[in-house]
Amino acid sequence: MLDRSKTPEPNGKISFQLPAIKKFYLSNKLSVSFIQKNNLPIVQIGIIISAGSKYDFNGKKGTANLTAMLIDEGAGELNALQIDKEFEMLGTVFSIAADHDSVIMSMLCLKENLVRSLEILSKILISPGFEEDNFLREQRKCISKIIQMKDDPSYIASTVFDNLISKNTPYAYPTFGYEQSVTSITNEDVKDFYNSYYTVDNSHVVVAGNISLLEIKDLLETHFSGWRKYSQSSYGVLPARNDRNRFYFVHKEQAQQSEIRIGHISKGRNASDYFDTMIMNTILGGQFTSRINLNLREKHGFTYGAGSSFNYNKEYGYFEVDTAVHSQNTAEAITEILKELDGIREYVKEEEFNFAKSYLIKRYPSMFETYSQLTKNMALLYMHNLPDDYFDMYLSIIESVSLADVKNAAINNILTDQLTVLIVGDKNIILPQLNAITDEPMQELDISGNVVV
Amino acid sequence: MNSIFNLKFEKYKLDNGLEVILYPSKNLPVTAVNLWYKVGSANESEGKTGFAHLFEHMMFQGSENVPKEKHFRYIQEAGGSLNGSTSNDRTNYFETVPSNYLEMALWLESDRMGFLLPALNQDKLDNQKDVVMNERRQRYENQPYGLAWEKLFCSLYPKGHPYHWPTIGWMEDIEKFELNDVRKFFSTYYAPNNACMVIGGDFDSLEAKRLVKLYFDPIPGNIKIPKIKCETPSLTNSKVITVPDNIQLPRIYLAWHSDFVFGKDDAALDVLSEILSSSKNSRLYKLMVFDKQIAQDVTSFQFSAKLGGSFIIVSTAKPGIGIDILKENILNSLNTIIKEGITEEELQRAKNSIKSTFIYSLQNLDKLVNQINYYNSYMQDPNYFAKDLKRYEDITCEDIKHTAAKYLNDKFVQLNYIPK
Repeated sequence: MLDRSKTPEPNGKISFQLPAIKKFYLSNKLSVSFIQKNNLPIVQIGIIISAGSKYDFNGKKGTANLTAMLIDEGAGELNALQIDKEFEMLGTVFSIAADHDSVIMSMLCLKENLVRSLEILSKILISPGFEEDNFLREQRKCISKIIQMKDDPSYIASTVFDNLISKNTPYAYPTFGYEQSVTSITNEDVKDFYNSYYTVDNSHVVVAGNISLLEIKDLLETHFSGWRKYSQSSYGVLPARNDRNRFYFVHKEQAQQSEIRIGHISKGRNASDYFDTMIMNTILGGQFTSRINLNLREKHGFTYGAGSSFNYNKEYGYFEVDTAVHSQNTAEAITEILKELDGIREYVKEEEFNFAKSYLIKRYPSMFETYSQLTKNMALLYMHNLPDDYFDMYLSIIESVSLADVKNAAINNILTDQLTVLIVGDKNIILPQLNAITDEPMQELDISGNVVV
Repeated sequence: MNSIFNLKFEKYKLDNGLEVILYPSKNLPVTAVNLWYKVGSANESEGKTGFAHLFEHMMFQGSENVPKEKHFRYIQEAGGSLNGSTSNDRTNYFETVPSNYLEMALWLESDRMGFLLPALNQDKLDNQKDVVMNERRQRYENQPYGLAWEKLFCSLYPKGHPYHWPTIGWMEDIEKFELNDVRKFFSTYYAPNNACMVIGGDFDSLEAKRLVKLYFDPIPGNIKIPKIKCETPSLTNSKVITVPDNIQLPRIYLAWHSDFVFGKDDAALDVLSEILSSSKNSRLYKLMVFDKQIAQDVTSFQFSAKLGGSFIIVSTAKPGIGIDILKENILNSLNTIIKEGITEEELQRAKNSIKSTFIYSLQNLDKLVNQINYYNSYMQDPNYFAKDLKRYEDITCEDIKHTAAKYLNDKFVQLNYIPK
């Protein structure tokens, strides 16, 4: 007779073979990471270029993004429509995304169409056209997009929060730029930007595919070794903490919910207590049964979901609690979040610690399922300059973290005296609530983060 | 190439009516369990909408042998991932676990299939009502254009048709969910004979069969599952609805009744949407976004389900452009296709792109087992990948022209979102 009250035990152990990463250089010194994966006839390629918005020219925020938008609008002898037509005929999926640090080109294609797809990709990277009419179209598209985002509460909250905590660094500005700054960009700026930052030594290629090492080496050499632009950009910024206000809000008339962001600048990706902090945050707000989500969602019903994360750009990191709550519960929700941030500094239970470790260790194989997961993993190593054996060591490092390490990670990385609180919501509903829980001033900001007087 | 679509699987039924499909595949040491319950928002009624979606929440609140929050915690502690989703026609629940945890996944799924009600109480319901109301606020009410879909479908499907209301339910219905109704809804629809479970990934078939029988066999079926009765929807007149909202750029939504899922013209309508808006060279995108630059974006798609299908076109205006200009350009383009048809090259591009998307979709075990459940549910054939692809490969230029003429010449709903 089956006893349903007993939780079934796992059936033995699983074995998992970590896919091997091969690294090599082309004759022009372009670096490549590669994983061979043969279960489907496909190849996924990424090109990471250190040409993100932190390199935007002065007064021209949005140049990096506009350059990325324009780069596949004509290249070599192909115009924008021809590039797109060929990719579609080949069944190749191509996209470009820019963030503060980098631009990433991604291409997914069938093995049988790899040669022509690579040829087009190399044209896009090495010989973009930058025609004036294409520039004007993409610039208008970008400005309209920025106008459109003015009503997206979550976008406003995230960009204004970046602006507050990363003040005086290039990470303070949205990658899209602002309406005015994008208007001031010229096609010459875009060409200058491309010429300065799209270089061999700023780039790294990642490939996961159903192809041999020799074959992919040969193909990349054929199409990319002619690229001979060099100059390495570097950047070193750290946002300065200054004594600021703690509470900020952006008014959004008749908002049903308040978007809340709470956090501060934190250590970089290479910090020695990175894994300790990851386990700590798993307990605090990193997954569904974390303290923050169980409190705000499952206990109080204030929200559809709440969580916390440590985010890492190339230069430093930041800690952020992120949620959207019913307007009338705004102050209560903030109080509960602050309680949880104090709480994780006070105690971590053995049971929570074991859960978090088990979660992180046992999910490891599922980090290597799809072709794009593999290229993203390789991109991560490159982005943060992590050791080649990072994934080989991953499990044993997590295993070695102790409960005391996790407690220390909370004390050293949740800095409750340095928190910035931002709310995007209806001030008529939220201000009375907030004034009831604190005497601190509430500073109003506009949707670009400027002080409203 | 087509051999990769030919999956090796085994399908059988337990005595209580539960359908089981086993799909072994050894790529990774993980196993995915995916259940479809044949209950969606279409099984609800006016005044009591949102129940199917509410269950997507209540099913994670613990059951007789699983304390509240433990359902999530067990799976996550094992390194697994889990979720659920609700549509008009069905609700699905799924988890992927390291393969040595298959038995635990089956234990959890069987406990909430057979023993949810003893653990259901007013506190849990009140809490999840709040969560669902916040979900509604976050995903729809507090988003620019957020209520457009429910306004559109509410007009396209007449009062009384089961697609008239949104999947998440109306706010006033969510507010007044009652425990007794919730219990009744569960007892009616959450029975093994109203579900299909796909197990995919790295497992031993004999062992999986033994465990499925052990955990699910004792759960009784329900012989009285009500069938949905409704008429094929149609519009007597074209309608125009205008909604002022907190937005900067006007947006137009056009919706026609079209073919049902896997209906004769369903695939042709998918291909038509590719030809209209899937790439820079597609008809509407090239005309409106690329050449004339009157639109910020344009998309179209065939949204097909069991009790109806709709063909939808959405476009956002550039600053300074009115909705009428968008509408005129869209309707002119449709008329050109209806009169002159499309080129062989356009058709081939669309087909190639669809075919490669099929292949790319096989990368992810979660998606794959869900697709198997989808095919089994609508076509009673889990191994429908190759046949599905053939639906697209067989389409001709003439088919597209005829299909456009058949559906898009007809009456439609026009929804205008304009800045307040």
